[in-house]
Parts: sequence; C-alpha cells; structure tokens
Amino acid sequence: MEAFLVVKKKRGAQEVSDVVEPVALEETTVDSSLRASLEEIKKYDGVMGYIRRDTTSASIDLKDPTKIIDYALLSSLAFDAGKDLSELFDIGDVKDTLVWGTNVKMLSVIIGENKISVFMEKNADTEKVLARLNAS
Amino acid sequence: MDAEAYSSALKNALNEVQNICPDIKSVFLFNEEGQIIAGAENTPESVIIRAMDALDGLLEKAEIIDGVESISFEASKGRVNVSRMSDLYLVTLASEKADMNYVCTVTRVVIPAVIKLLDKVAPALLKDTPVQVEAEPEDSTFEEAEMASEELDEESQKTEHEEQAESGNKSETILPKAPVNQFIVENLGGLFVSGDTVRIDNDILLKWKELYEDRAIEEVEIETFSGKSARCKLKPIKNSKHEGKGIIQIPEKIQAALDIRKGELVRVKPVVE
Repeated sequence: MEAFLVVKKKRGAQEVSDVVEPVALEETTVDSSLRASLEEIKKYDGVMGYIRRDTTSASIDLKDPTKIIDYALLSSLAFDAGKDLSELFDIGDVKDTLVWGTNVKMLSVIIGENKISVFMEKNADTEKVLARLNAS
Repeated sequence: MDAEAYSSALKNALNEVQNICPDIKSVFLFNEEGQIIAGAENTPESVIIRAMDALDGLLEKAEIIDGVESISFEASKGRVNVSRMSDLYLVTLASEKADMNYVCTVTRVVIPAVIKLLDKVAPALLKDTPVQVEAEPEDSTFEEAEMASEELDEESQKTEHEEQAESGNKSETILPKAPVNQFIVENLGGLFVSGDTVRIDNDILLKWKELYEDRAIEEVEIETFSGKSARCKLKPIKNSKHEGKGIIQIPEKIQAALDIRKGELVRVKPVVE
C-alpha cells in the first residue's frame, strides 16, 4: 500500500516527522466508495497519482514519491486559493479546481470531508476523472 | 504611446470583453511581479490585490509543475479562471450561467490580440509599468506601495517625533526597538507545512508580545551572517522537545534562499505592524 510507503518515508526523514500537521499520515478508514474510485482512477491513462486528506487523515499515492511534499503543498494551496477567491467574489463553495501546468495538471475536488487532488499528465481525461470522483 | 495610454488601451479591451460577455463579472490582468496591468471598470484595485494575494502562493508553488498555464475554480455560484498569457495572468470571474466556451474564446482571442498589438506599438512598456486602476490613487506594485508607505511612515514618524519634542505631547506611542535574537537553524518540512512560515519558541513569542503589547507580530526578519535577509511568517514551535533550545525551524526553500543550512546561526527580529 502506498500509504504505508509514505509513513516509512516520513519516519525516515526525522526533520519532517515532528512538524507534519494537521493530519496524521496513517491509513485510516476512508469511505470505501471513494477509495474504490481513487484506486480505479489511479489506473486511468496519464494519471500520476492522488492525494486525499480529511480533517484527521491523509492517503497519498504518487508514482514519483520525490514529489510528495511539493504536490501536497500545491494541493493545499489550490484549496486555500479556492476558498479565498470564493469569499472574495462570493461565488459559493468551490466544487473543483483544475490547475494546468506546462507538463502536469492537477484536479482538486472536495467530496464531503475529503479534499482530493489527482495529478495527471496533460493528455489525461480530466472529465472522466471528475465524473468518477463525483460518482463516489 | 506612453504607459497611461497603454494601460488605458488594455482597460478598454477588458471593458469591451465584459460588454461582449455580460456573464463576465470581473476581469483584470496582472504580471508575474505582482503588478496590476489593467482592470475592467467595475473591478476595484482592492479586489484585484486580494485576488492576487489569494493566487500568489499557488502560482509560485506551481513551479513544481513547470508553471501555470491556466487555473479554473468551479464554484456553485460562479467560476474564476486564470489564464497565463506570456508573462501576464488574465483573471476572469464569470457567473455560473456563463457559457465558458464562449467566455474563454473571447478572452483568449481578444486579450492576447490586444496585448500583441500593444507590444508591437509599445514594446517593453507592459513589463515595466505599473498601471492605474479605476478610482485608485497612484496605484503601483506592492513593493513600491510598501516602500512608499515605509517612506511615508518614516517621514511621518520623524515629523511626529519632532512635534512631540517641541510640544511635549506624549500621546503617540513610541515602539521599543525590535529585539534581535540569535537562533540555530533547524529544518522544517513535511506535508501541509507552509513554505513561507518559520517556527520559533513560544516563550520568545510571548516576550515579544509583552514588549509590544497589542501589536500583532505575525512576521519576523531573518538575517544571516553573510548579510542575506528575508521576511517570513511566524508560528510557534509545535513540538515541545524543540522548545527552549534556541532553534528556529525554517523550511528548506527559505534556507536555500538565505543560503543557510541546519545548525547555522541566524539573527531574528520581530516585524511589528
């Protein structure tokens, strides 16, 4: 399980383990439907992985583990930006955010308590991923 | 063509975009340096600044995906799109009913065309010139505004001090000089740790708060012994085992910017607002 891999990495990097907040990187009970969706999405063409977190836990599955911290921060910043813009422009809750990078795109969605970011290559089918997530 | 005419031309283009697409509620342009290039008539500068502020961290961190081409925020009552156009970012706010294909077609055709045309007519102006936005005096970059504000503050402080000395009026509070503390650098990393925030002992924070009473201390200035300095956001150290050891936890990115490493000494003083 990739989540365990992350835990091991975190514990190996001593300077990191003490300051991670606010979530514990442990495999916790995730809504089974969402988990199934993410497992399926992971197999879609061009999908590089995902980060899911709720108020108490997080699970990460990325093909390139060296990007975990950067992608997690990017994900977090996308949710923060969405919240700030939502308040500024009074546009209600942000349902999804799509960040197109030069080589990678990130789809961030809030489903219930879960904040999910899926990282994809540019040619990946975003609509398909979004539809699968929303069907969770 | 001077800068004012340049910005005016862009502003007109943005206004026209709104006329063509009434579902666009707000539209503006800013550049990578955080300068407002132009905003539509109904988009006040304060809103643009707050929007830029909201996007700042995301745009900066997007270097990990080799920079942003576009961002779309889909909300229940509207959409915000950010499109990169060369070294500019075009931000549009559209209603939830907007035909986004139409909006994107218009904005991604009209604005780049106008920018291209203006670049041909007045190259380099766009990059160098902050622009005035509706009903705002002397709008400029954040840095310039900050510098101007600091200069103004310094001047006003000088004047106030002079006035106080002359009149004996002691109603204004003179802040004590910011204490400088030395700390040993410790790494700060992990998921969900903000890249622009450092952590120090809560005891130090409390002492600073006592010193400055009601003033908010949300930032510190870190200075290295090689003379580099940076201003960072501030939080107390979370883990009690790091407390009382005279350390400052600094994210790797800031360490790199300051050219320092774990174990080195830095000088830290609070930024009192």
